[in-house]
Amino acid sequence: MLSRRSFLAISSALSGAVMTAPSWATLTQQDASKKLYASAYSLNQQEHFFGLFDDKGDIVWSSQLLDRAHAPVVHPSQSIVGIVARRPGFFMDFFDVSTHKRIIRIEPSKEYHFYGHALFTSDGNHLITQENHYPSGQGKIFVREWPSGHVIKSFSSNGIGPHESVLLNDQVLVIANGGLKTHPDNDRKILNLETMKPNVTYLSLKDGTILNQSSNSGELHQLSIRHLDVNQHGRVALGFQYQGEMWDQVPLVALSRIDQPELEYLPIPEEVRVRFKQYCGSVCFDSSGEILAISTPRGGLVAYWHVDSKTFLGIENCRDVCGLVATDKPHEFLLTSGIGSQLKNNPVQNVSKLIKKHPKLHWDNHLRQINT
Amino acid sequence: MKYFPKLIALAISASTPLLVSAGQWEGPLNGIVNNVVKQGYESYASSSKTLLERTNTLCASPSQATLHDAQEAFQANALDWQQVQWLNFGPVTYFMRYYAFEYWPDKKGVTQRQLRTLVQGDPAVMDAPKFWTSASIAVRGLTAIESLLYHPDFEPVKSAEHCRLLEKVTDHHLESSVAVAKQWQNGKAQDWVFDEEGTGFDPEKVALELFLQQWIEHMSAVKDAKLETPIGYNGRENLKLAEFYRSDLSLKAIQKNLQSYREIYHLGSPSLYELAKQTNPALADQFDEQLTQNIKLALQLPSDFFHTNHTQEERISLAKPLVKSISNSQSYLSSMVTQLGFQIGFNSRDGD
Repeated sequence: MLSRRSFLAISSALSGAVMTAPSWATLTQQDASKKLYASAYSLNQQEHFFGLFDDKGDIVWSSQLLDRAHAPVVHPSQSIVGIVARRPGFFMDFFDVSTHKRIIRIEPSKEYHFYGHALFTSDGNHLITQENHYPSGQGKIFVREWPSGHVIKSFSSNGIGPHESVLLNDQVLVIANGGLKTHPDNDRKILNLETMKPNVTYLSLKDGTILNQSSNSGELHQLSIRHLDVNQHGRVALGFQYQGEMWDQVPLVALSRIDQPELEYLPIPEEVRVRFKQYCGSVCFDSSGEILAISTPRGGLVAYWHVDSKTFLGIENCRDVCGLVATDKPHEFLLTSGIGSQLKNNPVQNVSKLIKKHPKLHWDNHLRQINT
Repeated sequence: MKYFPKLIALAISASTPLLVSAGQWEGPLNGIVNNVVKQGYESYASSSKTLLERTNTLCASPSQATLHDAQEAFQANALDWQQVQWLNFGPVTYFMRYYAFEYWPDKKGVTQRQLRTLVQGDPAVMDAPKFWTSASIAVRGLTAIESLLYHPDFEPVKSAEHCRLLEKVTDHHLESSVAVAKQWQNGKAQDWVFDEEGTGFDPEKVALELFLQQWIEHMSAVKDAKLETPIGYNGRENLKLAEFYRSDLSLKAIQKNLQSYREIYHLGSPSLYELAKQTNPALADQFDEQLTQNIKLALQLPSDFFHTNHTQEERISLAKPLVKSISNSQSYLSSMVTQLGFQIGFNSRDGD
């Protein structure tokens, strides 16, 4: 296993410019099985970082940030990681892990801000960002050249508040239009609570046409579609955040497909649904695509479903949990929490193992795995 | 892997921060549970019983005098609720009891609408065994009882149907409050936290952390929803959004909440105050003084503060010192909690 010291030694030897950043495989060549995970974290209200940790939970790389950040972005081949500012976000910082240097800061165009998430295309040549044109409130998708960050294409997200998006394939982007109209002058104040209408949009990246779009019914218009994931079979899972009353009985998780007009809500036992407090954090399929996991920091748990049978499998309690990724093993997930826990959980085998707890550290909202 | 509901298996944490040693969290936790929560629900159940008795008398002998007696009993009961309202934890979370005890703010008038439907329907449906467990939370508690006793749409003195509905709701309300009180008498806070296997789990600390989180959130609700929103402190005035405005309890409810805050801080051996004194004496005292100041400022507000005879500007001007004082209390509480080593809501209170 690669030690932190040898990791840094290799990193130092491999230092280079943006375009020559080594591959992840090169960076971890001493141990091909080495796994790395990326997340923002904080030590307190003033000290914030972006870090990579290994399978043992040890932090092997970190860089200080000016403020809390939201979701990491991982380049598919080069050892480059980025972190997106929290909504309303005005920067994304990208780092060459081998040199420890920030290589580029990408900022939105005038009158736009980021939503906290972004992603690379599978070939790593483009970066896709979701943005708010805040004078109009319209959601936009920008395809940017990598590594310059220059915008080469832009499309309407076909909704308001495109919070997160995932690639169904190289040509189709699936967008969670959360529906919340905000303006940075008012931070996160919702300006359209009575009229919001979130949707999930399947967008052609060739020409921006809508290939499919689904919404909640009218009485559920305050059910913000916020986070999503897609499995290898084209199933899209959606996690909601309800903006209505705490006591309303609303669905919180749904499945979608490009060829399916309606959302398909997943069952949750009422006693568990209540614990969600109307809020889903991260959405994630396991590596087999058979199991869906949804974290809820407000409920202090991760809930699991068997996707094909739409069976609720159970929960794992973990206070302030939000970060969630699939490990390489089928049915297994890695969870991170605001109280510093890193936990592996397999809901099929009912196995749970605390990898490490960093008691002085708070793992921030989202976690990503790096395929080395 | 667990499946809710599963009560905890106790595993005591080996490490606790700062000056506080393992087991010390039992002091404030037990103090708050025994003196605020258990006694609070005992009083609440007891005044719910009085309310039912007075309601029965009202329906048996309808008159302005018996209506007045029932309204008085309602006011006592609603103020007992204010003592425990800050804690949405434990038995009150079953069957949505917390939201059923008080369906507020009812911005869309759901309670009135559903009560009217019940009045017009067959009263026998309310006698069905599972009616109340599946009934809307809008008609199961204090908000519905207040409507039936005070809203002009309902005339329990003149209408036997209205009075019968009042009796049914009040009866269910008593059943719920007694159930919560009993569950607290037979249990403890640690029974209501969820074990996290293999994580070095301290049930006292986790329970107290949840109490503190609830306290922080309730303090925000008192300042924002109970005080600022109805008077239009930051926007449009709408006095009907004040809590229990029909029964004129809006200000008294705030006063009662602020009084309970000081009790929470000082109960137990050691109390939260005493533990805070060990960690940061200056902050512990600042917070204490601010809690006292809150009570004084709330008591200084005129009893007709939420009535229509003040202008919006007058009301805002009167409220300003209290708003500022509660705001300071929020900062002190937040700092104290952090310095005591609790990690409250890094993701759960600040996500996206």
